[in-house]
This record gives sequence, C-alpha cells and structure tokens, in this order.
Amino acid sequence: MLAGRRTAALLLAIGVVAAGGGAAGLVLTRHPAVPHVSAIRVLPAPTGPIEAAPPPGAAPVAAPVSLVIPAIGVSTSLVRLGLTRTGALQVPPTTAVAGWYTGSPRPGAVGSAVIAGHIDSYLGPGVFYRLSQLRRGDRVYVRRADGTLAVFKVTEVQMYPKDAFPTLSVYGATPTPELRLITCGGTFDYSTGSYLSNTVVYATQVT
Amino acid sequence: MRFTRFVRRIIVLAALPLLLLAIPAAALANSASASAATASTAATATGTGWIRLAHFSPNTPAVDVYLYSFGDTSAQIVLHHVAYGEASPYEQVPTGDYTVAMRAAGASASSAAVLSASVDVVAGHAYTVAGLGPESGLRLQVLDDDLTTPPGQTLVRIIQASLKQNVVSVSWGGTTLESKLSFGSVTSYQTVSAGTGSLVVTGSGENAHISIPLAAGTVHTLVVLDGAKGLQIDNLLDAAGSAVDPAGGAATGFGGMAPRAPSSPLPWLAVIGTGLLLAVVGGRRLRRLSAARS
Repeated sequence: MLAGRRTAALLLAIGVVAAGGGAAGLVLTRHPAVPHVSAIRVLPAPTGPIEAAPPPGAAPVAAPVSLVIPAIGVSTSLVRLGLTRTGALQVPPTTAVAGWYTGSPRPGAVGSAVIAGHIDSYLGPGVFYRLSQLRRGDRVYVRRADGTLAVFKVTEVQMYPKDAFPTLSVYGATPTPELRLITCGGTFDYSTGSYLSNTVVYATQVT
Repeated sequence: MRFTRFVRRIIVLAALPLLLLAIPAAALANSASASAATASTAATATGTGWIRLAHFSPNTPAVDVYLYSFGDTSAQIVLHHVAYGEASPYEQVPTGDYTVAMRAAGASASSAAVLSASVDVVAGHAYTVAGLGPESGLRLQVLDDDLTTPPGQTLVRIIQASLKQNVVSVSWGGTTLESKLSFGSVTSYQTVSAGTGSLVVTGSGENAHISIPLAAGTVHTLVVLDGAKGLQIDNLLDAAGSAVDPAGGAATGFGGMAPRAPSSPLPWLAVIGTGLLLAVVGGRRLRRLSAARS
C-alpha cells in the first residue's frame, strides 16, 4: 500500500517536473539566439600627417596599408584584394583583416576606393561586425605606405540585397576622393552558407 | 483532498519559473523588432553634385572666380588668381542653382563681375565652368561632365584652348580622336580603349606629344594649351572608378553571428505532454489510494 503511494507520488513529481522543464525549454527556444559580443571599444583617432586630395596633375598617392574607424573600434591592416575566377570581389583570407580592392582607386586619390571586410567567421564577429552601426559624420582613417593619412567622413549607410547590388553607385566613377566600405548583412541563408545582403558605407574625403 | 491541493501547489510552483522566463523573452523579442526598424530606415541619397572652375582663355590675365549659391550675396567659394591653364579640384555642393562670377585678379568682391554664368546642379552630376575663347570674346561655359564609363574603357574629351595653333588634330595611340578642332571648342566625350599610349596634338607646322596612361574606368579632359615653348597638353582626371567592376555583391560573412532560426517546438511539446500524462496518472492513483484508505 505504502509502496503504491510512493510510486504514484513519484510519477506525479516526475510528470510535473517534466512538463515544467518542457515548457521552459519551449519558451527559451522560441526566439532566435543572439550571440553575445563585448561592448564597442571606441578608439582614439590615429595621428600623422593628414593629406588632402591631391591637386590636378600631382603625383599619385601611396597605396593604403591600414584602416582605423574609431567609432566602431576597428583598427586593421589592409590586404590586397582582386577578383575571383567568377569575377566577384575577392574577400580577405581571414575575418580579422579588411582588404583594399586593387582594381579601385587608392584611398585619397580621385575616385571611389573600395575596402571590404567580413562581418563574422563561423564562430564570432569579424573585422566589420559593427559596420552597419556607423552614422553620418563618423570618421574613417586610411594610412598609406608613406605614413600619410586620408580622412573620410561617412555620408550614407545602406543595405542592399546581393541580387540587387548597386554596382554603379559602389564601383562607378566619382570626381572627388571617396571610400566604400563593404560587408555582409541581413538574413543568413543556412542552405547556401551566405548572407543575402551587403552593407555598404559611403564616405567622402575630408579636406 | 489534501493531495489535490498538494498537486495544485506543485503545478503553481512549476509554472512560476515559466512566467519569469517568459518576461525577458518577450523583452528580447521587442528589442529585436526595434533594431530591425532602425535598419530599414537607412539614410537616403545625399543630394549633392560637383562643380569645378577653370581658366582656359590664353590672352586673358589671371582672374578671381567666385561661386555663389543662387540669391546669396556672400560667395561660397572664392578662387584667387586663377591663371590661364588652371583648373580647380571638384567641389562637392548641395543641389540647386549657383552663379559663377569672374573678376580681374585682385578686384574687390563687391565690384561688378566681368563675366557670370548660372549652373543648375543636379544630384550626382558634375560640372566644369570654364572661361573659354579669346579675351575679346571671353565666355563662361558650363560643361556637363560625364561620370559613367563603359565597362573596362576610358572616356576622353578635348578642350582646344590654344590660340597660337588655332586649329589642331588630336590622336591617341595612333587613332585620330579629332581633326581640325578649332580654338575655343569643346568636344563631347568619346570612348577609347584603356592603356598607356601617346597623345599627339598637331597644329599648323607644330605638334606636341605626351605619353599618358588612360586607366579603365576613368574619365579625362585633355586640354590643349599654349605653353611657354609651344603646344602643351594637360590631362585632367575628371573622375575615376574601378577598372573592372566586381560582379554582384561580396561574400563577406560565414554566419557565426547570424541569428539562429527558432528550432522546432515538437520535442518540447512531446516532453510537456508526457510530463502532464505522468502527473495525471500519478495524481489520480494517489487520489484513488487515499480514497481507498479513508
């Protein structure tokens, strides 16, 4: 008799705990998991000789070597990027550095210079994880091989579906020195292993 | 009866953590939708264009060039002592109507302008406002500058500003770009294949040549000038873009920070169902046993 009561009480307890646990599990997995990342570490502006846009006919500016975006804590060296076999923009070999597209003008020379970086790796944030958080007026610094700095200010932050990428406004010609920063954004398609959109930051040189 | 109350109490105790979990979950969901709203209201186009000012009149002395926003009496830009052959860099300006005025170098800003022209700056467009012709017939001409190159090619335009050789022919890389181009004229842009070649300007009994690189994706204005030693050629870079436009977007992410889609609720529902079933079975048996005892 007592054994029967104990079994029944045990069943009841197990049942209640299981139902409660199940309900907790259900609630906890109802919203998408948001990975935790540390807060933005705002960096000081780099120091060095700031060079304005070269006057017409001046010697070409030196090649870019590093990039600092104080507002979103980016400080990275710049690798060289070309094109893939399919004609797409090559991307940096690691997610920790950004790269300058060598087919675009040098940052600080007349034209639209292009720098790309990863938003994330398989495991965590990449160099341009916070690119979409840039706001109009934020400063972007590119250091050149000769030690000079080209300084840009953000004019626009846009997100485009990759299948409607605005090639002309990103890669097209401009009459003054400008900068384009590119990374991924939007929804991640797990079936293809890629993001469906690109974030593009437009910036113009500060003279 | 005591057991029914016991059962109720256990169920309430089990439900409490659920409520506590549900509140932050709802808050998270709210913040997620809020950030999505900010992302969709991205900045629109900036509404600016570009103006550059130039002096291509050989026998006109240096001038001061003023740029006024239409109706504004204080100049937005003043270029002092602009001499023949000089062109300013482009200035990015908000769209709208502007007035360009030329005064003799050093003349008071309030004095009457020698020449003036109005420019309507359209968003995303670039303009060259150039003093052209001889001093006696000096004019300010507003030129529309092209910013779009055919893929992998170069755009070239010629301004003939040599008075000494008032008719010239221009060729690049052995191909004639213009023949019998007269003084003061401006050609429209033409497409040439990119590369480094020799630009040859031929006048009557005199010619000049320079080797110039014309990169793919760039736009140039070639100005024929009277130099100190005969014909001179200035290569102005109007605009530059990528030599080759990469196809489509950039593959700049691996998804490590992408939000995970919610998993299927079915396993959890099964656990809840089984748990409830066990609780009901246990509870009923308890009640039956206690009823049998009393």
